[in-house]
Amino acid sequence: MFRRLMRPISPSAKREERIFYLFILPWLIGLVLFNVGPVFGMLGLSFTDWRISLDNLQFVGLENYRTLFADPIFRISVGNTLYIVVGRVVFGTSFALLLAILLNQKVPGIPFFRAVYYLPTVTAGVAVALVWIWIFNPRLGILNYTLKQLGIQGPPWIFSKDWVKPSLILMSMFSVGPNMIILLAGLQGVPKELYESAEIDGAGNWAKFRNVTLPMLSPVLFFVIIISVVSSFQNFTEIRVMTEGGPGESSNVMIWYLWENAFIFLQLGVAAAVAWIMFVILMALTGIQFRLGRRWVYYEGEAR
Amino acid sequence: MTTVKPKKTVSWRKSVKGRRAIGIAITFALLVPLGIAFVLPFIVMVSTALKPLNQVFAFPPRLIPETLQWQNFPDGWYGYGYVDFTTCTWNSLKITLNNIIGNLVSCTLAAYAFARLKARGKNFFFAIVLATMLLPNEALVVPQYVLFSRFGWLDTHLPLMVPPWFGWPFFIFLLRQFFLTIPEELIDAAKIDGAGHARILMQIFIPLSKPALATLAIFAFIGNWNNFFGPLLYLRTPNVQTLPVCLVQYQGAYGNTEWHLMMAVATIAVIPVLLIFIFGQRYFVEGIATSGVKG
Amino acid sequence: MSTKQLSRRNFLRLAAASSTGAVVGYLGPLSNIASAQDTVELTFGRHWEAAFRPRQAEYDEGFMERHPDIKISITYNTWADHNNVVPAWAAAGTLPDVIYVHGSRATPWAHEGIIIDIHDIVVADEEFNVDGMWEESVRLYRVNGRIHALPYDHGPIILGYNKDLFDAAGMDYPSEDWTMEDMAAAAIELTDPNAGIWGWDGRLDLGNGGGGFFTGAWGGTTMNADESAMTVDTPEIRAALNHWYNLTHVENAGASGTEMEAFPNSQPFRAGVAAMGHIATWSTPSMRALANFEWDVAPTPMGADGSRYTGAFGSGYGITPTSDKPDTAWTYLREYLSLEGMIFMWSLSGRGSPARPEGLEAWLTSDPAPPSGRYFLEAMFDYAVTGPPFQSLAAAQVSNILSREADLLRLGETSVDEAIATITEEGNAALDSVADM
Repeated sequence: MFRRLMRPISPSAKREERIFYLFILPWLIGLVLFNVGPVFGMLGLSFTDWRISLDNLQFVGLENYRTLFADPIFRISVGNTLYIVVGRVVFGTSFALLLAILLNQKVPGIPFFRAVYYLPTVTAGVAVALVWIWIFNPRLGILNYTLKQLGIQGPPWIFSKDWVKPSLILMSMFSVGPNMIILLAGLQGVPKELYESAEIDGAGNWAKFRNVTLPMLSPVLFFVIIISVVSSFQNFTEIRVMTEGGPGESSNVMIWYLWENAFIFLQLGVAAAVAWIMFVILMALTGIQFRLGRRWVYYEGEAR
Repeated sequence: MTTVKPKKTVSWRKSVKGRRAIGIAITFALLVPLGIAFVLPFIVMVSTALKPLNQVFAFPPRLIPETLQWQNFPDGWYGYGYVDFTTCTWNSLKITLNNIIGNLVSCTLAAYAFARLKARGKNFFFAIVLATMLLPNEALVVPQYVLFSRFGWLDTHLPLMVPPWFGWPFFIFLLRQFFLTIPEELIDAAKIDGAGHARILMQIFIPLSKPALATLAIFAFIGNWNNFFGPLLYLRTPNVQTLPVCLVQYQGAYGNTEWHLMMAVATIAVIPVLLIFIFGQRYFVEGIATSGVKG
Repeated sequence: MSTKQLSRRNFLRLAAASSTGAVVGYLGPLSNIASAQDTVELTFGRHWEAAFRPRQAEYDEGFMERHPDIKISITYNTWADHNNVVPAWAAAGTLPDVIYVHGSRATPWAHEGIIIDIHDIVVADEEFNVDGMWEESVRLYRVNGRIHALPYDHGPIILGYNKDLFDAAGMDYPSEDWTMEDMAAAAIELTDPNAGIWGWDGRLDLGNGGGGFFTGAWGGTTMNADESAMTVDTPEIRAALNHWYNLTHVENAGASGTEMEAFPNSQPFRAGVAAMGHIATWSTPSMRALANFEWDVAPTPMGADGSRYTGAFGSGYGITPTSDKPDTAWTYLREYLSLEGMIFMWSLSGRGSPARPEGLEAWLTSDPAPPSGRYFLEAMFDYAVTGPPFQSLAAAQVSNILSREADLLRLGETSVDEAIATITEEGNAALDSVADM
């Protein structure tokens, strides 16, 4: 690394480097102004007995981390998080891709359908609890009502230890909007000439998808997968509004565990430690994905 | 590309119309039933907005209210004279527009640098861009609040309106990925013409990335329009409040929430987002077709 | 609303309208209006929903009229987020002068220095009748024997019933001499699965909200008096929980957890599909707004030995350490939390359950109060007790464990024995972890 840094470079490369730093300067300034303080503050605070007041903090070393690893509920929350993350990423990304492909077809009424599939993303927020009760409620919900018409006894969804995690994964499908839009924009960016030449070569739909769409879409798909992992770790709207980690601890995920410690138990030092453990896990997962990405992500022209 | 025997090619071409019809049928068969499920949240919202309060949780539930209580809309909007939605909407609009422009400018620059410029230390800084996305926001709530209070920015729009001008990792990463799909030959051609990076960015990347930029704008719009916890924390006086904060003023303790009024205003608040989505759609999903990429 | 503005005259008329003569003590500060030169701003952090703000504004206008030197400014949080915003305020040192304190937060917030010890100010103020407050409500804010906040609202939880469903079944309404067994028998009789009607709403609160409703009738409490240990592993609690379990899951006379959750913010009783349910004074306004049937209240049914018991809880106000004008803050609170203040804010508006018995009496004439609302008053005087946990620093953790296990019991995902074992083990561990703090 250092040898590469010290290597003498040409004047034009130097100029390019200056432009690079000029272009990322706003971001760099923002990083220093708004992020460095809070982030390193959090790191430091995770080694203290911070409850609320920032005065008279006691340094407790790794005590908060030890507390966490000794807490069986924290271990459960890590397991629950991984379960939900895997489910959300696998099903969520496939579903987003399927929808993006469908909504990229030249079929009448497509702009309307695009809006329809984006609607839940727009109406999220305050309406979320009310809406989920209407759909997922075992007794009143439209979902179980529909199943009943088909002669199926619907499950108790979020009101059962066994079903709560699958329910949360299923619910997350409704927030497919942003990923769908990103993939749609990616699909629109695939030059039509490539399809045309593939057709001239006699490629079928699958061959076109496999040989044109996927490689051209891979940088965007890669982004969607990375972001899905991150947001699955961090999203807890449904959990806060609907399950509060229950029944039992079966939907207690790390972010809820963090929130509970910070704002309900007033153990902000412990919450900070949870944040750093989440950070390390995500860092590792993202690093692995970038490694794997080299094998399947096709960049038209990356300046390395 | 796979090469297929000519004979097969001919028979495939023959049935191209039939295939297209089948394709449309399959697309509809998938889109329509799922679409119904996806419209439900919106319908529930509008339906609640039109009910009297004592019908909101009536049993059995009704999707179409017995009587339509249009009065909820003006009632909700005027909020007992104590919630000023006009001011809140104005504030939200101001913050949202500022943040869209701020993000577009700062993120485009950084994304171009990360995607297409060679520099020592680039990978290191890009790793930091990613890393700042990975820390859960909930953990940063208190330290960030302390920071903005030290800046003396509390009860102003500054904590909400200044940071977007300094880039947002999610958007930088998003645009970088799109910028990486733009063919290298286009840049080479421009370089031969003597174009500098500013011109390449303005004349090649921005026009070619319209779908991505429009996507970013939509995300920034929705994210800021719906942003709740930040404004709730940073803003105190009524005349600086934003729409989502105003909206939850109808939430009360012990079941005292006025769902009908809340949903009425929520419906009004969703309309601009929907309009932008429906009419802006052609820019971000069809923009590329007119810009005509030559691969 | 009867009074448009709480002018001094209206204020007096209002006070006179209240059924007690406590107004006499109030005239002192009233006649003592300060000159309007130096206004001090008194800041508040509270969470009323929009509908109740006009009332608050009316009160504050009247107050500012009486005290032209004080200007009130309020930051409104939401009910759901107030407890999350206050810690951030505290960390940054930007707390307002006066904050709303939910009963469950009094001990931790006092311990963290979010609210100050106001014991001496309260006791020294001879005109402020702290002894006229319901002792069970003041107890909530007494940390290490000293008052750190004062209640505005505190309510007992008693039995509510749906008159329409009782009438339809041709049954007598719950009576004063009902025991838990009578209630269970009636619940079983009223249950009609075909019509989707339950006899009882199936609620099981083990935490401070309704802790005593079931367990108390058998003579059990979930924790010992100083909240240093869990006491659920007793024959009394076991009998109480078995009774509840039998009623809900064996006789199916109570809505199970799954069915109950179907009624957000509304519960089966409020939705009109359960003939009986828990009801607290603070939930009467939403009953009035949402219930489409005739309803009334009865005393909490007695235990087999004729003893009666129920839970009670509430909220209050505290002064923060960042306030540089605790005296001004007290000038406000002493009036706001006086009998007259409570009558104006909570009794006549019907919004809440004033923490003073006379205030609750005045509340009985308000719109949300049910016909037999005096049973609330009776519970307050005779048998309602503020339910644990609220004194321990681990109260939030213990509450969490209790509500989680109650949840699992309601959903039929755990057994009574299992729940008791878990509560004992995890609850005691949480209590031990703060034993030396």
